[in-house]
Amino acid sequence: MSATNQTTAAVEVSPVGQATPVPAEAAFTGPRRRSGAWLTQLLGNRKAAFGGLILLAFAAVAIFAPALAPYDPTEFVGRPHRPPSSEFRLGTTGSGQDMLSQLIYGTRISLGAGVIVGVATTVIGALVGLAAGYFRGRVDDFLSLLTNVMLIIPGLPLLVVLAAFLPAGFWTTVMVLIVAGWAWPARVLRSQTLSLREKDFVSSALVSGEGSWRIMLREILPNMMSIVAAGMFGAIIYAIGAQAALEFLGLGNPSAISWGTILYWAGNNAGLLVGAWWTFVPAGLCIALVAFAFALVNYAIDEITNPRLRSQRETNLALRRHRRQLGVSRATPVLRSAGQHRAAGD
Amino acid sequence: MTRQALQDLVVAFQAGRLTRRQLMQRAAALGISASAVGAVVGRSAHVAAAAQGDTSGLVTVATEQVATWTRNFNPFSPDPRWPTTNGIYEPLFVYNTISGEIVPWLATEWAFSADNLTLTFTTRPNVTWHDGKPFTARDVAYTLNLMKQNTALLGASRTALDVVSKVEATNDTTVAVTFSEVYTVGLYDIGTQNIVPEHIWSTVADPVNEPNATPIGSGPFGPVPVFQDQYYEVHKNPTYWQEGKPAFEGFRFPAFPTNDAANLATLNGEIDWASNFIPDIEATFVARDPENNHYWFPPTGATVHLYLNTMTPPFDNADVRKAVSMAINREQITTIAMYDYTNPSDSTGLSEAYPNWKNAEAADAEWVTNVADQANVLLDGAGLTRSGDVRQLPDGTPMEYQLNVVTGWSDWVQACEIMSRNLADVGITVTVQPYEYATWFDQLQKGNFTMSIGGSESGATPFNFFRGVMSSQTKEPIGTISALNWHRFSVPEADQLLADFAATSDTAQQQQIANQLQLLYEQHAPAVPLFPGPQWGEFSTLRFEGFPSDENPYAILSCYAPESILVMMEIKPKAAQ
Amino acid sequence: MNFILRRLGFYLVAAWASLTLNFFLPRFMPGDPATALFARMQGRIQAEQIQTMREAYGVSDDPLWQQYGAYLVNIFRGDFGVSISYFPTAVFDVVRSGFVWTIVLVGVSLVLSVLIGNILGVMGAWKRNGFVDSVLPPLLMFVGSFPFFFLASVALFFLSFEWGWFPLRHAYTDGLAPAWSWEFIRSVLYHLVLPAATSIVVAIGGWMLGMRNTMISTLAEDYVTMAEAKGLSQRRVMFNYAARNALLPNLTAFGMALGFVISGNLLVEIVFAYPGLGYQLLTAVNNLDYPLMQGLFLMITFAVLAANLVVDLLYVRLDPRVRAG
Repeated sequence: MSATNQTTAAVEVSPVGQATPVPAEAAFTGPRRRSGAWLTQLLGNRKAAFGGLILLAFAAVAIFAPALAPYDPTEFVGRPHRPPSSEFRLGTTGSGQDMLSQLIYGTRISLGAGVIVGVATTVIGALVGLAAGYFRGRVDDFLSLLTNVMLIIPGLPLLVVLAAFLPAGFWTTVMVLIVAGWAWPARVLRSQTLSLREKDFVSSALVSGEGSWRIMLREILPNMMSIVAAGMFGAIIYAIGAQAALEFLGLGNPSAISWGTILYWAGNNAGLLVGAWWTFVPAGLCIALVAFAFALVNYAIDEITNPRLRSQRETNLALRRHRRQLGVSRATPVLRSAGQHRAAGD
Repeated sequence: MTRQALQDLVVAFQAGRLTRRQLMQRAAALGISASAVGAVVGRSAHVAAAAQGDTSGLVTVATEQVATWTRNFNPFSPDPRWPTTNGIYEPLFVYNTISGEIVPWLATEWAFSADNLTLTFTTRPNVTWHDGKPFTARDVAYTLNLMKQNTALLGASRTALDVVSKVEATNDTTVAVTFSEVYTVGLYDIGTQNIVPEHIWSTVADPVNEPNATPIGSGPFGPVPVFQDQYYEVHKNPTYWQEGKPAFEGFRFPAFPTNDAANLATLNGEIDWASNFIPDIEATFVARDPENNHYWFPPTGATVHLYLNTMTPPFDNADVRKAVSMAINREQITTIAMYDYTNPSDSTGLSEAYPNWKNAEAADAEWVTNVADQANVLLDGAGLTRSGDVRQLPDGTPMEYQLNVVTGWSDWVQACEIMSRNLADVGITVTVQPYEYATWFDQLQKGNFTMSIGGSESGATPFNFFRGVMSSQTKEPIGTISALNWHRFSVPEADQLLADFAATSDTAQQQQIANQLQLLYEQHAPAVPLFPGPQWGEFSTLRFEGFPSDENPYAILSCYAPESILVMMEIKPKAAQ
Repeated sequence: MNFILRRLGFYLVAAWASLTLNFFLPRFMPGDPATALFARMQGRIQAEQIQTMREAYGVSDDPLWQQYGAYLVNIFRGDFGVSISYFPTAVFDVVRSGFVWTIVLVGVSLVLSVLIGNILGVMGAWKRNGFVDSVLPPLLMFVGSFPFFFLASVALFFLSFEWGWFPLRHAYTDGLAPAWSWEFIRSVLYHLVLPAATSIVVAIGGWMLGMRNTMISTLAEDYVTMAEAKGLSQRRVMFNYAARNALLPNLTAFGMALGFVISGNLLVEIVFAYPGLGYQLLTAVNNLDYPLMQGLFLMITFAVLAANLVVDLLYVRLDPRVRAG
């Protein structure tokens, strides 16, 4: 095991610079085959509920777009740059299409690309991370090297260069984002696998003669689902932002309707310069809202899986009164602490 | 009236002759609200601040869009700093697109021999290079011979030099260019070639890669006192051969990486002369300062076409090409995609750059009007029957095509979107496919496309245009690069007419031939003309005046036009009022 | 020592991987530099002159492995080829000027956002449910959710264009001669405000949350309790004991984040026409300047590698356990 991997990263900063917390630690108290508890808790968390609600709303908009959109989003229905009115609720674009309809249809591609990239990077990352953490040795050396190289190559320049060389289109963008995005989940899940592999329930599964992949997928993976989920949400945030950025730079397919292309056309048609804020602001707001919603859910996962973050009042009180409530069961603080972080954000 | 009064007040305020309170009081007396005054003061202060750094009498120009300036003033390189060609260096003559006339420049006269094989230029006496050495016909001969020997050097004369066998200066004011075959249209290529001094360039080891940091030319501009990564200045040549010109001190060039950045500066009143595309220009630019902000977008650029590959049935059939053309709503394209900056093409395919060449007989064919019914009749007649919403070829293949366009060229992309909708109405399914320029261009040149939007050739005469769209000389098989004839169309009559055109130096006769070429174009519809490309040009009269415009169209406004040297001769500081 | 050697090996492999990737990318493309340049000229030269430009560029037909070898040798010599849009200037010379400004912008925004973010994180963890802990995280998370380029565009439009408070573009006033004078430095700082502020505002939330969460874990450690028990001042416990240890994991995040921060700043540079590498990268893309694109990509990658190496060395100094292991 190379020394890099001992180190910890507590923050995940996506290539567009947005940062989301990664769960500091899944609370493992021992062999736990079913780990759905955090999911139930998640539903009861206010932050998660709020974030989930926003996401549900956007998902509904994406699914029922044809029913919700008042116009065909590509049809030229009015004069360019009309302000919002009863006829066009969000005004018209610089070429006279209905802004609201574009925004509604745009949800499909933006959310779709985000989810596809999020799921794909997580799956690839999980497989790589599991394999590296489980098999260790040469497999780990090779996979870790690959992961770290991918991680260290700066994302956006690679995206820009790749997107510039390949033909523009939805799948090009998705492919490029997957290529540039799988390494982070792989790294996080690898270190988690490394620590879980030492647990008793894995040893007993080994002894009972279960196959490697079965252990990985049936024993280890379910026990780090919260981290997988958090990683996936982070990846979706990254994908939505990066896709919008690429499209804004004109490297996507400008004929497809998505939030990024809405912003691209708003820039091209001088939306802001003529005071047509409605061509620019709503799409940016939508991107921010979706990213915010996912970030909230992640924040909630973090609180649930790391009990210290949750029991805020007690922690404070405990410290104030010099009582040793939380540290009781833990020995040798310094090294132990490092170990935790290692398992945590890394 | 009130507006003028308010402006005067603001000027007085800025000059310190009025306090803010006095300003407000007097404005109120004129019936102007405080907020209106505030808006004008704010805006003018802004503009004044922009103007303030520029008391030097330099004209601020927005031309090339680059992040960093590199010091390259080599007129033979593909992309030297503006105005290296037709500014620091000069041509033998300048072709004025608007008037269709040739303006003598370094040459005073020129003539073809009786057999049209020798072209003789008489050069202007008493012209000196920036270093004081005299300019002679030997410099002209040197420049053309240098380019002939070194085929990696770019210049206006490049194409014609292929058929030039010898260039010789017979004395200090006469240079003779001998052609190996009759090629009279070469006159424009040779005449607009920029001339370099022999005594400087004969010592340059590698003229292709020479950055020519301190250019020595003969033109109205020369010294480069400031050159930074994001900014440079080019000052006037104080000993220019045209006395009293230029009437201003020189140019300054801030670097703008994108159209957006250039537009922001232009709208902010910092730019005197620009050639950028500004969307919705009346609202964004003119409305900010209607008195000073002006634009002129003459549709004199190359005509933009929809190219249908004539090697792919059914587009080998002229009726089908005409039907496609009739299905297209050009008005919608020019209004929505082009902001009304240009007008629909006529059936000659020629842009507005050829007022003296247009054949009215060929101009208004039915196939450039939007008549979907007639399009359907023609398509039915060609055996392309409808099955549901989509037509089929006789063998049953549905008419579904991909329309190639360049990624990021938003006006073209939008034009393609509109065509796609238009064509759906007559039963042809078209998917717009953006490609990166190099890919798009490669497919276009090699004929690996069915439908593609694209530009066309332009030049002083329509010769190049028609050679591109209808000549068998420029046509190559699919898979081989064809520089001009992308849609692979030719008719023998066109070949004959083009040969005749290049063989005569009589303009009247050339015009006769061009008339017939236009009729041929109208008859065959080799490609689908959409609109002539506008040549962007904006100027502000805040500090300088004398720019060409719709009212005073003495030359093209765009800085990119070679004739912009004519504009440089006319710009002068705004007269004090 | 062993640790450092291993890291050096890793960086060499990473550098080689990006070099190779960089070599193969443009070879996926049809066309050649001459076509690309022709695109840039947009009708100002005739299509038939492309052949002339091809000759000027010396387009190579050698077998791929030979080109690859020559490419590696050239890179080693610092020769990144000739730029298309700046022909005949070498890519290296074009990139060099942008490099300085990216360092300035990234340096300032990274240091400030890390500093402010971490201090806020410490404060949040120390006073749980106080103002900093309850109001700032959701607020910063929301602001951080906006795409970089969106905030930058809005800021540029209102603060610079409409209200004229800040300059519209560039790193210093046009025509001002670069010098160590107060006038020049003031101009540089003035031009730096908006680009840096945008990226700080977006990035700060992540640093704050990260620090806050590690701090909370650290605060529960025995040695912190011990320090408190000894009666040390709150401030001392907070910064000298807890924050110092919580900072360690954040340090690696710092190295990693560098790549991301550079990426984010690329967009900011583009919007504000700030003459760094990002702005050059976009113009290279717009002008199909593939050699320049490659050169920039390599420069950015190498910069990130170098920064990570520095972080590693720093880590060795700060964390004795790494040296031992």
